Parts: sequence; structure tokens; C-alpha cells
Amino acid sequence: MQTLWLVIQREFVSNVLTSRFMIGFIVCLLSTAVAVFVQVDDYEKRLVEYSTAVREAQAEARAWELYSDIKLKAHRKPNPLGIFNVGTENFGANTVTVELAKPIFELTSPIWEAPTQKRGSDNPFLAMFLTVDVVFIFKIVLSALAILFAYNTISGERENGTLKLVLSNAIPRDTVVFGKYLGGMLSMFPIVVVSLIVALLIAFSSPVTTFDGRDIAHIMLIFSVSLLYVSTWYLLGLLLSVWTKEAATTLILSMFIWVLLTSVHSNVATFSVEKFAPYQPETTFLQSAFDVWDQFRKERDAYVKQRGYEDLKESISWAPGTTSTGIGTSSMSGGYFLKERYSVINVRQADTSIFQEILGYQESLRIAAAEKAEAILKKPAEVQERNAKFADAISRISFADVYHFAVGAIAGTDRESYNDFIQGSRAYKREIVEYLRDKKAFSSRAWFSNDQGKAELTDLPQYSDAQHRRLSLSESVSRAAVDILILLAWNIVLFMAAYVSFLRYEL
Amino acid sequence: MIWHIATKEIYHNLTTLRFALMIILLPLLMVANALIYSLGSYGYKTQINDYNRQAAQNETHIKDSANKSLAELALVGPGKFPKRPSRLTFCADGADEVIPRSVKMKSEGSISRSSGVPDEDYAWRHPLTLEYPLMSPGGNATRRIKIDWVFIGILMSFFAILFTFDAIAGERAHGTLSLMMSNTVSRGQVLLAKYLGAFLTLMVPLVIGILMNLLVILLTGSIPFQLGDWLSILGMVGLFALHVSIFIFLGFFFSSRVSNAITSLVWLLLTWVCLAFVFPSLLGTFVSNLNPIPSVDEVFMRKRAQLDQIDDEWREGPSPKLKKAPAIERPAVARLWATYFTAISGTETRIADEHIDQQLRQVQLARDLTQISPIACFQYAMEGLANTGVVSYMNFVKQARRYRHTFIDFIKAEDQSDPESLHIYPVREGLSQKPVNPKAVPRFREHISHESVLVPIGLLVLFNLLFFVVAQVSFLKSDVK
Repeated sequence: MQTLWLVIQREFVSNVLTSRFMIGFIVCLLSTAVAVFVQVDDYEKRLVEYSTAVREAQAEARAWELYSDIKLKAHRKPNPLGIFNVGTENFGANTVTVELAKPIFELTSPIWEAPTQKRGSDNPFLAMFLTVDVVFIFKIVLSALAILFAYNTISGERENGTLKLVLSNAIPRDTVVFGKYLGGMLSMFPIVVVSLIVALLIAFSSPVTTFDGRDIAHIMLIFSVSLLYVSTWYLLGLLLSVWTKEAATTLILSMFIWVLLTSVHSNVATFSVEKFAPYQPETTFLQSAFDVWDQFRKERDAYVKQRGYEDLKESISWAPGTTSTGIGTSSMSGGYFLKERYSVINVRQADTSIFQEILGYQESLRIAAAEKAEAILKKPAEVQERNAKFADAISRISFADVYHFAVGAIAGTDRESYNDFIQGSRAYKREIVEYLRDKKAFSSRAWFSNDQGKAELTDLPQYSDAQHRRLSLSESVSRAAVDILILLAWNIVLFMAAYVSFLRYEL
Repeated sequence: MIWHIATKEIYHNLTTLRFALMIILLPLLMVANALIYSLGSYGYKTQINDYNRQAAQNETHIKDSANKSLAELALVGPGKFPKRPSRLTFCADGADEVIPRSVKMKSEGSISRSSGVPDEDYAWRHPLTLEYPLMSPGGNATRRIKIDWVFIGILMSFFAILFTFDAIAGERAHGTLSLMMSNTVSRGQVLLAKYLGAFLTLMVPLVIGILMNLLVILLTGSIPFQLGDWLSILGMVGLFALHVSIFIFLGFFFSSRVSNAITSLVWLLLTWVCLAFVFPSLLGTFVSNLNPIPSVDEVFMRKRAQLDQIDDEWREGPSPKLKKAPAIERPAVARLWATYFTAISGTETRIADEHIDQQLRQVQLARDLTQISPIACFQYAMEGLANTGVVSYMNFVKQARRYRHTFIDFIKAEDQSDPESLHIYPVREGLSQKPVNPKAVPRFREHISHESVLVPIGLLVLFNLLFFVVAQVSFLKSDVK
């Protein structure tokens, strides 16, 4: 035990006194600080934008008088953990318009009145610059440092001749290898801890950030996974150091693997999956959605005819002597949706009971059509999601990406969390439809006129955290479980390999 | 003597592990790049087909509208102009998923009002404006690094570091540096020879990789190169050379400054990470704090408010000015509608132009700032030669704006020549109802300019000079032992 401690101490001291420790420390600290600073600022902006959006939506809602006025919005609440790992926080839509006549989907080509929109982005062109956050810095800089600490642990000592000296003492080889590992990790520890503390201090000093206990637990978990990640790189360096004869060779080889795993592999993987996935232009999907609405119009007209009327207007009967009669229709159509609003002229003199009945049928038909259109229009995103999952699976060969995925899952800024938001808005829409059905709103007079009382909207379901809530620690862990286990497995395999190789090492 | 040392360097490099690793990775990436871009989906063929289809649609659109009447053409506009896809996307992809592929000068969506009063019912088109539709934020969240030549160039700078970090410090440690210096050779010559050695070791495999890449693309026949493309590719090889050379000098600088090769590598590696990833990204993000612009929503709200105000004043308020529908018999009403339409399109144009200008200025600032990194300069110069990236979009927007005037001037001039017309632009009833010759309608033509490469190339040359001087001075002053 004492010898182990001695090895650890020696390794720690010899690492900490080197220039690479100082340089690495400063670079890591500075870049973390700047990254957090920028990200806190970004988070503040997102938060302001979010609360403005919510306020505006509430103000809009207060002006509604008719059931057909309802135009709800689902807003994605900014995630404070996005400061550490931006992930999908700045990506994709953060506002979904939940309208009965409108399918909820995402396309990359711009379309009129798109249901999913991104609010609050100053400049979409700036998305061409990569975002840098703490996790990115850890992923790139800490891994490089871990290798720079590990590359000469064995081969360097062998070159200096000190390895023989060490082993000529009564120290078992396993103690040496274990001690060197622990010592190396111990010297990485201050860098990680101090960077993290600085990151936390900057994050906490901002007046808008509020972290609750659950967030702190998540941050601690991210921190632990980061240590696990650093340990993987250190072990890789150690293993290569055992396998190669010269420290310079270890260094070149491990740098090469480093650049391969952190920047080349996953980019090649995602990019080739993206490029080799079959391409179907989004316009074909839009075209099929147009057909759905054509079908809707036909069915609707057929129904009106079946009821014995030439058009909708005929279903209303005005009191004799009414000076002007008719209905005003304003419609809005982007092809993939069809919104229509009616106003009945001289509504007080009108008997609209049959008109209401027809509307009741028609609006249900419209909702069904919107659902059909949605089923078609969400396909491109589904295909993309499938491809992205496949690309992720290939990327997992590199533990740098495993780390990235694990942290994303813990922070709740991964793609899955984003998809949850879109799904949540769909669930919200179903809730609204149920609510209106229960109230028989479609066939009520308050659908198109407030002459017999405004629509009763006080208990309208609100979009809330129920649809898109943040995950608890155990849920996050179970989401990230696979990736954490892969990292652990890498650690064990690399350690065992280094250990066995060192036991059989010939001096 | 110089050549002697250089060949020695090359022979030495050829036998090293790093050379072996580079010679494996480089062709692999080059061939992967060629295969991905030539056989992958949405490659040049699909893009050019899309482009041609869009252009053909525009052509029929103009023909149909012109054959209907001048009024129709004036109202619907000349269509949607796609940006011509570049054949050299595989060299510099230029973040094409955030950069729009077209601008639109086509009125879509119709507005109608029906109140049962015959003279008041009217259906009209949304007034014509030049729009800059942005790419939607949706889609997948995959990373944005593309495996193009720019990426390979960034890796080349990494290899340049790996080849030079021990160039001087290593020889010093082995004691061979003092041996070499004991010959009748000046330090400058040694540095030059070492530079040549490293440069050739890096460039020869790179050029071979590029040739393999081009061969694969030619064999698949997916990109029909033209003379201009070959010149651009030649220019890109030059850019690679400038770029790699900067990092060789940088390597010499650190290698001569420090006593230990490893310390030199640590410095170089961290510098490289900062130049390649940290600086460009942080500065890119930081620009939005440095030079804040209104968000998309603020602009949208402002536009909405102004348009609502116009609408209230003209047709929706308690006493709307546009009660009657325009008709040939009612020129006064038509004139009112014309004022209304002009107000709407004027407001929209002003706000849209201002906003996209602000956004593009911000991006320009971000690009200017990131050019403190030679890697960013290299990227921008590559994009300039390939005609991809945001600058090519800026040029495109400029030309589209010029075309907007040409088109409207044409409509007005053509309308003047019809004596029956009321000459009230842009109301359907106020314009010539006669068809126009579709051939006479001016078409949008995109002119490609490579002007934007000048600044980054100038900077790359400057970086070379700077690092050359720094490396030279530092080597001259360094100890042999």
C-alpha cells in the first residue's frame, strides 16, 4: 500500500512540475472561462426570448373571443445545463404553432407560415460557426492533455533507464502500473476541478441563471463522466506507452489516434451517412400533403351537397326582412394546411343551427386531414432521425463521441430531448382537440360569432412542463446508461490490456 | 548543401511513423471525399438538376404570365431564382445547410374579401417583393464539419506540426544540430533546407492524394469540370501550400524556442487546437454580443406592426379608404389601391433588405475577426475559389437586387407603350392587359466573382512572411546545444 502511494506521489509530482501541466492548465482554464462566458450570455438571450414569447402568447390569448380564434403556441424552455453542453439548445425550432388546421412537422426548405419556428435567433447565418462549450473543450483539450501526460509513463522511463531502477526494487509490476495510472489521473484532477469550478462560478454569477438541486446533481454527473472520459484517454496513452519502445513513437501514435477519434472519425461517419442516405426532395412530401387538402375540400363540398345545399351559405336562414345576408369567409392556405374563418352577416337575425351542425362535421374532418398531412410531412424528419441514429451508432466506435452523447443525454440537450419537445407539442395538440370536442366547440355558435356569448376559454389546457419536462437524475442516468457503460468498458479493457502488457513487458 | 540537407530531411521523414500514418490517412480521406461527393445523395448532379428544373419552371412561369398579360406578369413577378450550385463543393462545402439556395421574387398566396356587395368583393395577390427565404432550423442535428478539402487542409496543418515539432529541438537533443552547424553552412540555409524537406514531405503526398481524388471523381463522371474549375483547383493547391507552409514555420519557431521537443509539441498542439477550433468558433459566437442586431422575431414584429398599421388605415379600420374594388372604370380607386400596394411592398422591401444586410454584415464582421487564424483564412480563400459559402450568397443577393430594378423598369416601360392601359402600377386593373413577348422579359443571370479570395490570400502570404521571420530570428538566436 505504501509503495503504491509512493508511486502515485512520484508520478503526480513529476507531472505537475512539467511545463505541459502549466500550459495545459492555463489553456484549459482560459478556454473554459471564455466558453462559459459566451454560453451564459447566449442562455440569457434564450431566456429573455422565451419569456417574451410566453408573454406575447398570453396577451394574444386574452384577445380571443371565438373558438376559431384559438392559435396556441408551445415554447421550448431554455435548459440551464445548455451552458455546459449546448447540444440542441440552439438548434431547431423553439416555438411550435399548435393549430387545429395545421400539421406539426419540420422541413429544411422554407415554407410559408411554417408550424415549427425558431424564435430569438439574431442571425441564422452565424450557425455556420461551430459552437464551443465546456464539454467541447473537455472533449478536445483535456483528451490531448491526458495523452500528453501518459505517453512517456513507461516508454519514457524505459528510455531514461529509470524503469529498470524502479523494477529492481521490491515493487510488484501491478503496483507500478496502478500507481502510474492513479498518479496520472490525480495530476489531471486539479485541471478538471479548477476548470469546472471556474465554469460554475461564472455561470452562477449571472443573475438569470438559477440552478436547483437537480441541476447540481446533473452537473456533478457530467463532471464524473468527464473524469471517466479523461481516464479513458490516459489509459490509452499508457497502453501505447507500454506497447512502443520509444516515447517519441508513443507520442506520434497517440496524437494520431487523438486526431482520428476526436475530429475525423465521427465527422466522416455522420457525413457519409447523411450523404449516402437516399434523398427524396421535400417537395414530393409537400405535394402529397396538398392532395390531402384537395381531398378534404371535395369531401366537405360533398357533405354540404348531401345535406341538400349548394353551398354553406344556404344552410343559414335569416329572419324575413333582413336587409343583407351572407357569410364572409377568410381563408388562409399554404397548400399543406387550410384555415378558414367564417363571419355571418347580420348574425343576430340568423338561424344557424344547421350551419353549426355542418361546421361540427367539417372541423372534425379538417382535424383528420391535418393529421393525415402530418403523417406524411413528418416522414422526412423521421428518415433523418433514423439516419442520424445510424450515424450515432457508427460514431460510438470513438469514445470521444460516446462521451459527447453521454453528456448530451445527462444535460438533456441531446437530439432525443429535442424530439421530445416536438412530440410534446403534438400531444398538446391532441389535448386541445379533446378539450374542444368535449365542449362541443366545433358545432357551437361561439365558433364563429360572439353574439350569444364569447367562447369559454378560461380552462383551456396550457402548454406546460407536463408535455416537456426536464428529466430527473435517475432518468438521465438511464438515458445515458449505454454510453456511460461503453466508456466504463473502454476503461476496463484498456486498463486490463495495459496491465497484462506491462506484466509481460521485457526490459 | 541546402539540397543535401533537404534530401536528408526527406529521407529521414519518409522512414518515420508519422509519414506512414499520414500516407494511410490522407489518401483514405481524399478518396472518401471523392466518393461521398460524387456518389452521395444530393450531389452535384441532383443539385444541378434541381437548379435546371427550377430555372425551367421560372421560364414557363415567365412565359405563361407574359402570354396572359403584362399585368399578370407584373403582379406575380419573375419567379424564384435558384443560386447556381458550385461544381467545387467537394473542395469547400461552405456550410450550405445554413445558406439559402435561392431568393424569391414571386408573389405567393392570395387574399380575398367577400362581403356580398358586388363592387366591393375583390381578390388580390400579395404585393410583389424580393424575399430572402432562410433555411428552416429543422432537420437533423448532425455536426457541421464536412469532409471537404478544407477539412483535409486542417488535418494537413496538424501533420505539419507533427513533422516539425522536433525539427530543431530534436536535433539539438541528439547533438546532430551542432554537427550540422560545424559545416560551412549558414543557419538560414539550414532552416531553408529543413523547410524544403518538410514542405516536400507534406506536399508530395497531398498532391498525389488530390490527383487520386480527382481521378475518382472523373471516373464516376458525376461532376463535369470546366476550364475555370481546373484553374480554381490549381489555385487551391497553391492555397494548400501557403497554409501548410505557415504551420511549418510555426513548428520551426516553437522547436527552436524550447529545449525539449515535447514542450514544443505541447505548445504547437494547443496553438493548433485554438487556431482550428476554439478561436474561430468563439469569435463567431462572440460577434452577436459585439455588434448586436435585432432578432428575427423583433424584425418580424416590427414588420407586422407597420403592415397592420397600413392595413388599418387603408382597408380594415372603421373608415377604410379602399372600400370599393379597383376596376378599369374606376381609375381613382385603382390609384388608391396602387398607393396601398406600394406602401405594403415598400415597407416589406425596406425591412427585409435592411435585416438581411444587418445579418450579412454581422457574418462579415465575424469572418473578418476570425481571419486572425490562418486556418480560417485558408477556409475562406478555398470557399472563394469554389464559389461557395456566405460570400457567394452575398454576391448573389446583390445581383438579385439589381435585377429587381431591371424587372420593374421593364414592366413600367412596357406598360407605357400600351395606350389603353391606365399606367397604374402595381394594380392589375391599372396595367396593360395585353400579352408581352416573353423573350423581351429580362432574365436573371448570376455572375460569379472570385474577388473575395484576395484578402484571405493576402493574409495567408502575410502570415507566411511573419512566421518565416519569427522562425528565422528565433533560430538565429537559439543555442546549438
